[in-house]
Amino acid sequence: MASVHATISEPLILGDKSPGQVTDDVCSSLERGPHVSWWIALTVSSSMLLLGLVAVVYQVLTGIGTWGLNNTVGWAFDITNFVFWIGIGHAGTLISAVLFLFRQKWRTSVNRAAEAMTIIAVICAGIYPLIHMGRPWLAHWMMPYPNTRGPLWINFRSPLVWDFFAISTYFTISFVFWYLGLVPDLATLRDRLARGWRKTVAGFLSLGWNGSFRTWFHYETVYLLLAGLATPLVISVHTIVSWDFATSVIPGWHTTILPPYFVAGAIFSGMSMVLTLMLIARKTMRLEDYITERHVGAMCKLLIATGGMVTMAYATEFVTAMYSNNQYEQFAFINRAKGPLCWAYWIMVSCNVLSPQLLWFKWVRSNMAIVFAVTILINIGMWFERFVIIVTSLHRDYLPSNWTGYVPTSIEIATLVGSFGLFLTLFLLFCRFVPVIAIAEVKGVLNHGKKPH
Amino acid sequence: MTLKHGAFNLSDRTYGLFKWFAILGVVTFGLGLLLAPQRALSSFLLVNIGLLGMGLGAALFIAFQYVCGAHWAVALRRVPEAMCGILPWAAGGIVITLLAGKSLYPWTSEHAVGMKGVILSYPFVLARTIVFLAIWLLLIRAIVRRSRLQDQNGDASLSASNTRLSALFLVVFGLTFWMACFDWVMSLEPEWYSTMYGVYHFAGLFLGALAAMVLLVVWLHRVGPLRHVLTEEHLHDIGKLLFGFSTFWMYIWFSEYMLIWYADFPEETGHFIRRLTGGWGPLFVANMVITWLLPFFILLPKSVKRNPNMLVKVACMILVGRWLDLYLLIYPSAVGHEVVTFGVVELGMAVGAPGLFMLIFIRSFRSFPPVPVSDPLLEASLHHHQ
Repeated sequence: MASVHATISEPLILGDKSPGQVTDDVCSSLERGPHVSWWIALTVSSSMLLLGLVAVVYQVLTGIGTWGLNNTVGWAFDITNFVFWIGIGHAGTLISAVLFLFRQKWRTSVNRAAEAMTIIAVICAGIYPLIHMGRPWLAHWMMPYPNTRGPLWINFRSPLVWDFFAISTYFTISFVFWYLGLVPDLATLRDRLARGWRKTVAGFLSLGWNGSFRTWFHYETVYLLLAGLATPLVISVHTIVSWDFATSVIPGWHTTILPPYFVAGAIFSGMSMVLTLMLIARKTMRLEDYITERHVGAMCKLLIATGGMVTMAYATEFVTAMYSNNQYEQFAFINRAKGPLCWAYWIMVSCNVLSPQLLWFKWVRSNMAIVFAVTILINIGMWFERFVIIVTSLHRDYLPSNWTGYVPTSIEIATLVGSFGLFLTLFLLFCRFVPVIAIAEVKGVLNHGKKPH
Repeated sequence: MTLKHGAFNLSDRTYGLFKWFAILGVVTFGLGLLLAPQRALSSFLLVNIGLLGMGLGAALFIAFQYVCGAHWAVALRRVPEAMCGILPWAAGGIVITLLAGKSLYPWTSEHAVGMKGVILSYPFVLARTIVFLAIWLLLIRAIVRRSRLQDQNGDASLSASNTRLSALFLVVFGLTFWMACFDWVMSLEPEWYSTMYGVYHFAGLFLGALAAMVLLVVWLHRVGPLRHVLTEEHLHDIGKLLFGFSTFWMYIWFSEYMLIWYADFPEETGHFIRRLTGGWGPLFVANMVITWLLPFFILLPKSVKRNPNMLVKVACMILVGRWLDLYLLIYPSAVGHEVVTFGVVELGMAVGAPGLFMLIFIRSFRSFPPVPVSDPLLEASLHHHQ
């Protein structure tokens, strides 16, 4: 049965590594000084961040009249970016929690980075509602606590408030989950580093980890419980984001399939962003033995699956609108495909529906350049999906005299650039200061595919 | 590799019981057609949607296993394969419902206008039905046949070709199933629509098929064929899926209900109002309680998912919930929402359907080795552990 054995368990990590080599491979890049390319990337991304910062300060001081919104299109760029970033975050939890529950061992090579990406993406997303409040210094009013503002409470019936609860809970759990997974690796760092501030910090954060059986037992119990908690949370987040739209009575927004459709779309976009980042990290940090063609292939298959779900939702929505015989529903969808913003719709369709179909072919999945190109297309397509849902459903409302267009202002674009800057800057810092690969977990799958002794 | 499994000790009494169930179903259907044709036809639709769901759910289970390259359930694969045996019968039943049960579908007499009129034109619906059913059946038959062929020649490439066919089936299913649900069930109330409808049906049918699989594997373990094959580890995994999809069903249910309740469009809320008034309310709540609330809390502990007796009880509850779910979807629309209609016809056919299902299942299961003996992943599946 040797050949059979090989078919079910090919090695997950190439190069026949010993546990010590894994530690060396992952930690050495942290202990070396950064490569010049890292500095270049950091300069570019932090400049983008700075641009965004200037734009944010300007719009907070001036007011959100600096945006391109108008009476008809009262929601556009800001919420598009918010939903985009929240969606990106979902893949991290899928990989770290859902795939953990499904015992997908290949996740160990990518879960750390994917979870870090989740946390960073949620931070990027959180900025938008904060700016949108107009007076971000009153953000704590979102919290329902006994206050001196009289009978003025938040509107518990608004999905925007549910968003606040869902996202803050999700962020907390994701962060705890990520940090918990880091503890054994931080202990490894603590033990390796020479005396200095980094050793002190790693020692403090590793919570006195001693690698005993008891410690591991507690660790694994909590890890499983957190995975079980994170799974419904991640679904709740994008479900509630979809309710921001679906609870309304706007044709094109009010459609019951939106919750699972948004969740699938979020995982689709997040998985493609993970792949984009991991393909770069794999190359630049020389992690080819850890993030192998098999890992990339598995993630590509997830892209096909979630892309298929999104496609199904597009088709269902369109046909149901026709079926409804409701002229406003029908118009909303025909206007997407044929109206003045149809270019955005067709970018969405070609990027999200057509481009993932390339991944059916094995030779495509093993060609990193093509996979990279496809993930970029999906990132673009999923941004446009939110833009299409939000703007094209609004810009031509019931009265043709209200019909307008929407063009983002330079301030809005600068804010988007800034959020990418924040995302990349934080990710680059993560790559420098934290083991990008879950060392302890990868050691657990080193024997995968080897003949039992 | 030597494979131990018990012989199929099926008593004549059990087999006879299933036979009598089936006969009871046919007789009540016949009587119903004479005495209360609308109820008999509605029940016939219910039964066929339910049975088709069992077959499709089983086929989806097989397809998921192939495309994921999963090994844990390979040893049990003959069970979902035999469950697919019901598909031609149920598919025939659906076509007969559409041909003979025009009275169920208001749009066949009062023709809709506009796009709805195009989508719900009788020849178009009938053609779609036949095309969808034919494609599903052909693909599923091809997959099951390859799996059985592998028993004889041990050709590993059949697994690869089944993986490809499974992926194709999943794509085809995803693109067509929701439309079929619109045609067969949603159009009982032609003025109402919900984009979630297909997803809701998928959640229900997969959950139902998983519950049926739990009952079947535990039963086959007890009567012989899966003895030495089925382990607690397998049960634990099916139990987890049961838990997960019960929750998924509730999620989809809630999302649909909540959005329609919140927006409060008269054209949408009617669907739920008809199911909350006139005595339907308690059933409406009971559906959630037995399909999700109780299974969720019972299945939470690990020990329950590894305990066949407990799993069987939960699976029975979920299957009753599955029937109730379809009853709530079909009856208020097709028979009338003023009063809850339940009597000999409904009961007889609800008992007859599992009887017929078991007769076909047993015949199909007995014709082939009880485990896929030459599947390259069998060994890993037999020794599967968490």
